[in-house]
Amino acid sequence: MTVPLALIGGLVGQVISAGAGIGIAAAVLLAGLVAERFLARRVAAWGYAERREDLMIRRGVLIRRLSVIPYGRMQFIDVTAGPVERSMGLATVRMHTAAAASDARIPGLDTAAAAVLRDQLAALGEAQAAGL
Amino acid sequence: MTTPFPDAPPLTEGAAWHRLHPLSPFVRAGRQMMSLVIVLFALAVLNERQARGDVVIDAVVIGIALAGGFISWLVTRWQIAGDVLRVETGLLRRDSRRIPLSQVQAVDVSQSGFARVLGLAELQLRVAGGDSERGGSLACLRVAEAEELRRQLLALAGAARRPARAAEAGVAQAAEPGAAEGTAPAGGSAPTAAPTAAAPGPLAAGPPSADSAGSLAGDVREAAAPGRQLFRVRAGRLPAAIVLTASGVRALVIAAAAGLTVQLTGSPGVLGPFLPVVLGVVLALWRQFNGEYATTIVAAPDGIRLSSGLIQRTAETIRPGRIQAVRLVEPLAWRPFGWCRLEVDVAGARQRHENQAEGQRLRALIPVGSRAEADEMLAELLSCRPVPDRRPPRRVIWKAPLGYHFLGWSGDERYVVASRGRVSRQTTWVPLEKMQSVRWVQGPWQRRLGLATVRLDVAGKRVSAEVSDRDAAEALEILGRLPDLARAARARAS
Repeated sequence: MTVPLALIGGLVGQVISAGAGIGIAAAVLLAGLVAERFLARRVAAWGYAERREDLMIRRGVLIRRLSVIPYGRMQFIDVTAGPVERSMGLATVRMHTAAAASDARIPGLDTAAAAVLRDQLAALGEAQAAGL
Repeated sequence: MTTPFPDAPPLTEGAAWHRLHPLSPFVRAGRQMMSLVIVLFALAVLNERQARGDVVIDAVVIGIALAGGFISWLVTRWQIAGDVLRVETGLLRRDSRRIPLSQVQAVDVSQSGFARVLGLAELQLRVAGGDSERGGSLACLRVAEAEELRRQLLALAGAARRPARAAEAGVAQAAEPGAAEGTAPAGGSAPTAAPTAAAPGPLAAGPPSADSAGSLAGDVREAAAPGRQLFRVRAGRLPAAIVLTASGVRALVIAAAAGLTVQLTGSPGVLGPFLPVVLGVVLALWRQFNGEYATTIVAAPDGIRLSSGLIQRTAETIRPGRIQAVRLVEPLAWRPFGWCRLEVDVAGARQRHENQAEGQRLRALIPVGSRAEADEMLAELLSCRPVPDRRPPRRVIWKAPLGYHFLGWSGDERYVVASRGRVSRQTTWVPLEKMQSVRWVQGPWQRRLGLATVRLDVAGKRVSAEVSDRDAAEALEILGRLPDLARAARARAS
């Protein structure tokens, strides 16, 4: 992603002058590498564990969060896939509880895995459902 | 009109359909309608000499509005079938709702000023979830009818299964509670009833209808089951307390600035552009005063009954076990007087027209009261009451220098309590069986100091109890233990 962007930047810069083109390309390359590193860390920090009675989700690099969501509290489950996600065959599973604040999101799952996880969670949620 | 559910269980077939009160479109259109009429009338009077055409157009506009209201009344009907309330409405876009009464979190009876003049009231069932704004709203019924229906719905919603009563829903008994209102208050609670009956006194002089005056007393006093009054806000305290809150101070500052400007410039005209701001602040204060005036809390067998309001009166009934969280707020400016505010959170939106800010605000059981009153109420709401006495580690002072002195938490197998705040102290109790999810959060500064925060979410978006800035290991331990405790509490509750 970074390299093509840098190339495009360089080409655009070329219109102004050769020096500007190289400069822009280098800047874009550098920014892209830095961003990639941040993203990689962020992605690496994201994880989830299906426990017996609840789901545990960990995320965040700068602000670390570790959420525990009991299956019984699950109201419904969303599987969403934006255009970019779809082009890569990925999907996001999101669990909703009655609390607006409980942000239980598992992004970047393989579409098939997401469907399996959704069904699994739904079954667990149904088995352990609790009222408000 | 055919039944939209031909395959419904046979029990519902017998249940009668009811209509709302014919005047309800006026009440629902409410202020817009009134202002429209007034503006049009004023225009008509002003333009009288000019053209007749305007008047005709105005008449047509009013006529269309009236016809729309009439049609909406005509196509709206409701029914209690078994333990389900069914409401049907809409002419072109039919809307048929079934509200299972076991899901009801609270039942409100509210009356706008205009509705009070007409002796009408709106009945609202609060159910959890985003789309509760139109939830089960019956607007409007006659006050006595609404009260009777409220009692019936709560009885049905409770464990009691009384299909026989369900079949003869509401309307038939309209005359009976009306007659009862004239006599002595029910339950022999004369000393408690006396101030409630006196409350509408200054107002009863205003509205012309004697019926509405009677019903005002009715919506507070009604509770057919003997209720025990827990609290009643002192009318004198409320304005003082509201002025002493942040928005009140803001209003005072604005008023002072306005006064000063007028003094310096000598012409009040310069304030013109700022009028909307002033108006907004004043309106917010007024709305709070209006909403919390004469708050009365009564413990009845079918739940906790709150009633309050100056112009617009609301009477809510919170079913037992539906309280999601309890919060005690002690603002800085109230501390010299020893006042505090006690709020509860119930799932589901409260009113139709509430704006964002008001939607976020919790319902105050005690808008302002002494610590002793709050303690009494807390004892009523919570079966046991842990005190947030576990202090955070000393080093938190580097992270939260202003908030350190109020931080604390505690918990047992039923509740978690956490207190926080910089100038205003907020203590939140969350019953563990209401906990939706738990989070452990650690920001960069907290990581440096080896701290972490544990957050408990409850239904809705208004409250989450925050056990702030604990030792990271302790926070992890809390996170590990809470789900199990919550599960045990849920098992116990159900």
